[in-house]
Amino acid sequence: MELRKENKALKTILIIISFLFLGIFLILPLIYILVTAFRYGISEYINAVTDEYAIKAALLTLEATLFAVVINTLFGIAAAWLITKYAFKGKKLLSTFIDLPVTVSPIIAGLIYVLTFGRQSFLYPILDSYGIQIIFAVPGIVLATIFVTFPFISRELIPVLTAQGSDEEEAAALMGAGTFHIFKKVTFPHIKWALLYGVVLCTARAMGEFGAVSVLSGHLRGKTNTLPLYIELLYQGYDFTGAFAASSILVVLAIVVLILRLVIEKKGKKELDLNK
Amino acid sequence: MKKRKSVIPGFGISLGITITILSIVVLIPLCSLVVFSAKLSFSEFVYTVTRPRVLSGYFVSISTAFIASLINVVMGLILAFVLVRYDFKGKKFIDGIIELPFALPTAVAGISLTHLTTTNGWVGSILYKLFGVKIAYTRIGITIALIFIGIPFVVRSVQPVLEKIDIQYEEAAFILGANSRTTFFKVIFPEILPAIISGFTLAFARSIGEYGSVVFIAGNTPYETEIAPLLIMSELQEYDYSAATSIALVMLAIAVVILSVNAIVQSIVSRRVNGLA
Amino acid sequence: MAYVELYDINKHFKRFHASKDINISIEKGKLVALLGPSGSGKTTILRMIAGLENPDSGEIVIDGKVVNDVPGSERGIGFVFQSYALFRYMTVYDNIAFGLRVKKTPENEIKERVTELLDLIGCSGLEKRFPSQLSGGQRQRVAFARALAPNPQILLLDEPFAAIDAKVRLELRSWLRQMITKLNITSIFVTHDQDEAIEVADEIIVTNQGRVEQTGTPQELYKNPATPFVAQFIGQSTEVQNFDEFKCFEKEDESQTSFIRPEFVSIFKKGESLQFEKSAEEAIVEDIIFRGSNLEVKTRIHGNLISAIRSINDPAVEIGEEVFVFIYRLYVVTNDEVSLLINSSIAEEAIVI
Repeated sequence: MELRKENKALKTILIIISFLFLGIFLILPLIYILVTAFRYGISEYINAVTDEYAIKAALLTLEATLFAVVINTLFGIAAAWLITKYAFKGKKLLSTFIDLPVTVSPIIAGLIYVLTFGRQSFLYPILDSYGIQIIFAVPGIVLATIFVTFPFISRELIPVLTAQGSDEEEAAALMGAGTFHIFKKVTFPHIKWALLYGVVLCTARAMGEFGAVSVLSGHLRGKTNTLPLYIELLYQGYDFTGAFAASSILVVLAIVVLILRLVIEKKGKKELDLNK
Repeated sequence: MKKRKSVIPGFGISLGITITILSIVVLIPLCSLVVFSAKLSFSEFVYTVTRPRVLSGYFVSISTAFIASLINVVMGLILAFVLVRYDFKGKKFIDGIIELPFALPTAVAGISLTHLTTTNGWVGSILYKLFGVKIAYTRIGITIALIFIGIPFVVRSVQPVLEKIDIQYEEAAFILGANSRTTFFKVIFPEILPAIISGFTLAFARSIGEYGSVVFIAGNTPYETEIAPLLIMSELQEYDYSAATSIALVMLAIAVVILSVNAIVQSIVSRRVNGLA
Repeated sequence: MAYVELYDINKHFKRFHASKDINISIEKGKLVALLGPSGSGKTTILRMIAGLENPDSGEIVIDGKVVNDVPGSERGIGFVFQSYALFRYMTVYDNIAFGLRVKKTPENEIKERVTELLDLIGCSGLEKRFPSQLSGGQRQRVAFARALAPNPQILLLDEPFAAIDAKVRLELRSWLRQMITKLNITSIFVTHDQDEAIEVADEIIVTNQGRVEQTGTPQELYKNPATPFVAQFIGQSTEVQNFDEFKCFEKEDESQTSFIRPEFVSIFKKGESLQFEKSAEEAIVEDIIFRGSNLEVKTRIHGNLISAIRSINDPAVEIGEEVFVFIYRLYVVTNDEVSLLINSSIAEEAIVI
């Protein structure tokens, strides 16, 4: 390894560049949010975050996140299992469709739901007759949140399952085990860290989605405003302390997510080493 | 292709769940986009997307995204290199914080970056006084926001590839007399180039469509700092779905082109490396 | 004349003592094998000669000059890596030309040299291919040519045949031997496979646990193992501690132990004429393994499972059959010294004659 440690000066310069870049672009904004949130003291901060509408927005964000995580977990496991355990035609196309949502602009994601469930859609009268409203209402927000986080879990699982191969599942199947038994006893132990990691990523992104949700929300304070939308509303109303106070909640959650990520990665690695 | 039936049970149920959810979340909405697009009249479509304000929106989105992604390639390469090759205090911290743009809501990042870079913000005021440069509410501001959201894409594409490069390649170059610069550019760089391209295109595609972090810092002056996603948003707010869809279709086409270029590059590379030519 | 010399080399990797007081001297033009089990420190020695690792203490001398502070690229060395390390994004031509290009050789000279080398390795016409489009054997040849391109005085090869399948490996072994003899270049290769070392090398350096156990020609190692490790490692040896229970062998000292090789042992069917019947052991055949050209017959004698080689032309023996086993000689280890002990009935015979 002596080769790789030649140039001390270069090393120092590159490390300084890295710290400067991340310091200015990533850390400074974080500090700024916290400083501004507490600008007028703790009590003002507490007032801002316990505002009735802030709490309602947080609850709606929680609801949408929960839906997204549950549905995407179910989908992610099924899709990853399907893609890695069986050979069938159209697999590539399926993968493309699964990955599609992250490459689409969030605004366009919102747009396609408006086109699907909006007034001009043929689905609208049918849904309306059952009293179901999707766009500019909570279901739209939930759908948009699911969409933008759609491949997050399957994408974490597929590489792990591919690396694992199908030998163990085949052995279990030949001994007569059923689908759920195989999944629970054979597959799940291999993927649990990857799954947890996917859930963490999905949660983080779901909490923070702005563009797609913004298109589909009716922007009704206390009804269809998620936390990021509520922040926008405060910000545009020049209530900067309120906006940054509400933001600080999301900042803390983001930091928690990053720490969780490191912990999960470490645990997963440890287990992988043990299995080797 | 011969169909080989797997002995593992559960094909039916996993296919069922996958297709059902995929249909509701992705396929049906996508179909409705196609159906709706088919109903657009061609001349109306052309008229909408060639309006100067729309063209300027595309230009602003693409040019800022391109510049931001280029900067991210350079910075991402440095960060990945530092993380893989060097040991130093705070390495774990850097490794963790790089994901921040994935974890932090874009709107939160947007308002924070905006406030920092206005002419009386912490950073903006210094730059304005020293160089007379304005950041917030200009294209520079948009670029800054896009650098923020794009950086993890490049780092996370390059880092694992750099980690896996066998030290034997460098040793071979060293014994044959190459210095560290030649070794980096002739031996290591070609190894990570596919990952760099992949990181660049991912960051670029994401940046073109970015809304949340950009909309606050952009200032949204027509012809100056109005991005394409914002144009779609404004059309939607006026319930002009035809115009919104037209603008969106062009953006989707651009995204498809970018991602296809990447796919082609990657397949050429993998053919060369895996010998399937 | 010694061309490559190592004096009192020590090397640690953190707490691991990888090389312990290594002293080696290699003559010009010789083909030398560094042989030892994995983790014995053989690759570390090779890498230190190449300048890929620096010793903690001791001197490395090449052609009479101490090269400890000379970078590997200026030691006149060609190195063939275990998995070849061919640059995947360069063609065969560019790979071979790499070492010449970094030395700013004129392009026409490079072309001449590369063509010559491609011809030498029998790969003309493959210059535009990428490494992925070559077979394992071709890759090894290209790696060989790349190492030779800058005209090194020493060629170092790290497990050169490890990545090749068994059949091609045999072919490549003799090819490499011919090449090196033809070029008359001092060569050192690392291997863990004793057959490979014995077949290819002029001289073998046996390493174990960071030390050099013995240096010598394959015959010398085989006939006169200097240490218990070599006695046990070379050939297919079985350790026998209670050899004094065998007929016509005696222990001088209780702590002695011994190694027996199959070629030291003969098996006779009951009724076959046997010169030393009185000094042969009676035993039951426990296992017979077909080795292609001969049979390995395992019998149990005083608790030891002893192997013998029996020709397939001899009358067949069966598992469970009672046979006579005659042991001609064995290696006795006394306080880390190895000596040959001959069955006393033969020794007496010899004296009589």
